[in-house]
Parts: sequence; C-alpha cells; structure tokens
Amino acid sequence: MLSFERQVVAALVGSDDPAVRSSVEAFVDGSLRDKPEHLRLGVAGESVVLGTYVALLRALGRLDGDEALRALLRSWENGRIGVVRQYVRAMQALVVFAENELAPAPDRAA
Amino acid sequence: MGTLDTEVLVVGSGAGGGMTAARLAEAGRQVTVIEEGPWVDADAHEPFSLEEMVTKYRHHGASLALGNPNIAYAEGRCVGGSTEVNSGLYHRLPDSLAADWAARYAIDEFTPAGLGRYADRVERDLGVSTLPGAPPPSSAMLERGATKLGWRNVEFARVFRYDASGRGTKQTMSRTMLPRAVGAGATIVPDCRVQRLVRDGDRVVGVRARRRHAGGAVERLAIRADHVFVCAGAVETPALLQRSGIRHNAGNGLKMHPTVKIAARFPHPIDHGDVPMHRITEFAPSLTIGGSASRRGHVAMALADTGLPLEDALAGWENISVYYAAIRSEGSGRVLAVPGLASPVVTYKLTDGDLSRLARGIVHLGELLLAAGATELHPSILGGPVVRGMDGLGAWWDTLTRSRASVMTVHLTSTVRMGEDRRRTGADSFGRVWGHRNLRVNDAALLPDAPGVNPQAAIMAIAARNCDEFLAS
Repeated sequence: MLSFERQVVAALVGSDDPAVRSSVEAFVDGSLRDKPEHLRLGVAGESVVLGTYVALLRALGRLDGDEALRALLRSWENGRIGVVRQYVRAMQALVVFAENELAPAPDRAA
Repeated sequence: MGTLDTEVLVVGSGAGGGMTAARLAEAGRQVTVIEEGPWVDADAHEPFSLEEMVTKYRHHGASLALGNPNIAYAEGRCVGGSTEVNSGLYHRLPDSLAADWAARYAIDEFTPAGLGRYADRVERDLGVSTLPGAPPPSSAMLERGATKLGWRNVEFARVFRYDASGRGTKQTMSRTMLPRAVGAGATIVPDCRVQRLVRDGDRVVGVRARRRHAGGAVERLAIRADHVFVCAGAVETPALLQRSGIRHNAGNGLKMHPTVKIAARFPHPIDHGDVPMHRITEFAPSLTIGGSASRRGHVAMALADTGLPLEDALAGWENISVYYAAIRSEGSGRVLAVPGLASPVVTYKLTDGDLSRLARGIVHLGELLLAAGATELHPSILGGPVVRGMDGLGAWWDTLTRSRASVMTVHLTSTVRMGEDRRRTGADSFGRVWGHRNLRVNDAALLPDAPGVNPQAAIMAIAARNCDEFLAS
C-alpha cells in the first residue's frame, strides 16, 4: 500500500477506534494487493500522481489535516475527471464496506 | 517438479466442475479436480461477510470489467467456486431461451425437454426448495410492492435443504457434488493454479500447474491426463485457453447481467442475514428485479453510491435493505490473457440501449419499493437524487449516465460458446473445444448468452448433459 493510499484510507475512515482503523487499513491493503496486476498498476499510478499533487498543496500550505483531505476527496468524487472520480469511489467502497462490517457492536446499534 | 497422472482432469470446482467431477467419478472414471482457491469450511464464515470476501472471493470480491462505465463483478475462488458465495437462487433455463439458442448456434440435442430431464436430476441431487413458512420482511416487501402494482412476482426456489426447525443449509458444491465425487474415488487438489495446458497436436496431454502449500511454499506440478475438462468460469476458462495458445472464439462475446441498485429505507426494521427470495418477473427475461445481500457493509456501500454524506444516511440502517434491477444486455465484452500478467484483462461495452434499460429498471424498481412502503430511496447513481415519492422517480432517467451510474454484476457467461456454427462458437454442442479431441469446456463459458436469471441451474444441467455425451462416446 502506497503512502498516499494510506492517507486516503485514514481520511475516509470515520471511526476513532484504533483497532477498527487498523483493520480497515489491513483490509484495503489486502484488497489492493489482490487486485489484477493491470488494475493495481492503474490505481498505483493514480496514487502517485494524486499523492504528488497533495504533497505540493501541503508544501504550499494549502492543505492541512485529514478534514482538508476529506474535502478534497469529496470534490474529486464529484468532479469532471472520470478516472479520478472512480479512484475515490473505489477506495471509498473498500473503506465503507470494511468499516461497517468491522464496526463493534455498540457502534452498530448507534 | 512434482508429477501426477489421472484419467480425467477437471480444472475448477464450481457448478460446472463439481457436476463434472461427480458424474464422471461415479461412472468409474479416475478423476482429479484442481482448484485455484482454498478449501474453506462452508460454515466457517457468515454469508456475504468481510471474512467471506477475503477467503472465498477472487480479488476480495472487487473484480472489474473495464469500460464506460466500468462494471464491478464478483466471483468465487475456493473449492466449490461461486456456489459457495452466491445466494443459491435456482431457476431453470427458460424453454424459450433453450430453443432460441439451439437454433441460433446450431446446438445439437439441446431441446427444452432434454434439458428438463437433466434439470430434474440436478434438483434431486442438490435439493431445491422454497422457504418453509412466511418470507422474511426483505422478501415480503418485493411481494407486497408487486401485488399493489399488479406485477407478476414469484418466490424463487433455492438450492437449500431445510431441517425440521426451518433452518436452511445451502447446497453448495463443497456440500454436495464434490463429496460425492470424492466418495467415488476422485481427488481434489486445492490451492493449485493451472498455468497452461500442454498440447500435442490435436490432443491435450496434461497441464502445468503451481500448488501453494501451507507456509507459502510453491510446488510446480506436471499433471498428465487423458481428458481435460476446463471449468474455471467465464473469465478464467478462456484465459487458460488463450495462455495455452487456443484462441478461436475463446474470450470474446462475454455476456453478463448489468445491475443497478437502490438502498430503500422502510418505516420498520428489515432482516439482513439473507437474500430476498422473491423476484419480479413482470418484465423478465429482459429485466429482473430482486433483492441483494444487505449486511451493514452492503447497505453502507449502496448508500455511498449517491455521494451524499454517509453518516446521515446510515442512521437507522436497520430499516434499510438493498434491491436491484438486472437487465439482459445487448452489449458484450472480452477476456484477454496478457502475457506476463496472472489475471486476464476483462472489458465490457454497455450499449446506449443497455443504459436506457438500466434507467428503466431503476425507475421500475423505485416504483415497486415505494408501493411496498419505502419512505426513502437511494439510487446507485452519483448525484442521483434521493427519492421519497413517485413524482421524484423521473429525475433518475436523466441522471443515470455512463459517468454517474454505479453498475455491477455477479453473472458472467458466454466466452467459449457452444454449438456447431464454428464461426460463432469455441466448442461443439457438447463443449469439446474445436480442434482438440480430448479438451472440453464445461461451465458458464458455454452458455451462448446470459439467461436473464441466475445461471447455476443452466450450467449444471448442461454440464450433466455433456458428461453423459462424453461417457457415451
């Protein structure tokens, strides 16, 4: 799992429970590893490009913290560039499924 | 390199492979089944859970057919194949389709009556039955909505056996045909992936495979066989043929049931442990409406499809269930084995007509759910408005576009079509691959088209038929 992919997962996970966050990251990591090579390569390429862009924003002081990254991801998800939109949606689907399947009983009842 | 000799080698252990193994072993043939995935206790994980995704699905259940839009698909990769992870819904191949396929692809001895006899045997072998007692709320909602609208609907039978208390057990291949095969002397080798077939002129003399052992060690295997049945599913079967240099009509013509979904909120709690058994057949076979797995993870994923804040939508998730509309598609796709890549590239091209049918499907599904009492509908459309009344449904016609629709499928077929028309088929009427005397395909790849319903029944009946022809010949 690449550094930016880890950042995206961290931004998308809603739970504060370290165990859940860690398990979600492990699931996403496993899913990415298990992808067909050509799809994994595509996702990794996007991660590098988008990660570089985000790093640049951070260096310029225009992006700070998970909440800012979450907002940026939301804008990409609703944006005009198809591959970027799909990137966010694919990562979000993995996170959302894992987090909600892993949520401990009290959270489920909430 | 390890070696292994067998009379009949079956590659894959799903609906086609399981049936093939049992029929041939019980007929006295020496059978070895190779399965790429692991042998997982059928009771080890809750159905449709995250654990099941990790252990029993290929690519963690997140495979993708590239296109515009991309189409997510899921298939099993374990002993028993997709029969271990599907909903177990059972539907015979409609007679009209059998007759149509026989005529269009010149399939010999492919009559509705003949297939019906095989279906009878499959149903006896597996145990096919409807739910004893009343349907659960998720299924009853479909029935209620259809009744109010005057639409035809039916409770589908499933490959389930029920005990006296009403507890059902899905009759997967690992619980039925594979134990029968083993009982008749067959050997099953899990965690073993076939790299390629070894050919000698018009014969296949064996395969090269790699087996993963506990601890991670990988053993290379050379398996010699008198007859090879490839039953690895509609994606992996043509990919294996291509890797082995067999390309005639192998991998093109992929068909599927493109599917869109709605997460529907009701004023009361809905069950989440099972898949609804009712289906709306009013528009079948071109459009089928039914219910999906609706664990909390599935509900959350479906809600996330609209792109709206998830936390608000997920509140009261116990009242939400996920439903689908699936179409028979006029589009088609390809499976392409690329040298150096373990997984084939899968593509699918939805036509404009398909998109229109999907839009019609999601609107009809919305009508049904509102008629059933749903108070809020979240479509699998990015930016698709949440609908709370019939007057809002029309907006989905315009928002279900290639860039905004979230489309998935679980049924893939037709990549090595059967029939005597060599220009359009990859195998003869009984699955024998053109140009090869002892190589057969016996799985979903043979179906000339997606049947509009769960294809497991058709796959098993056709596989049994082909085994009988093999034994007779």
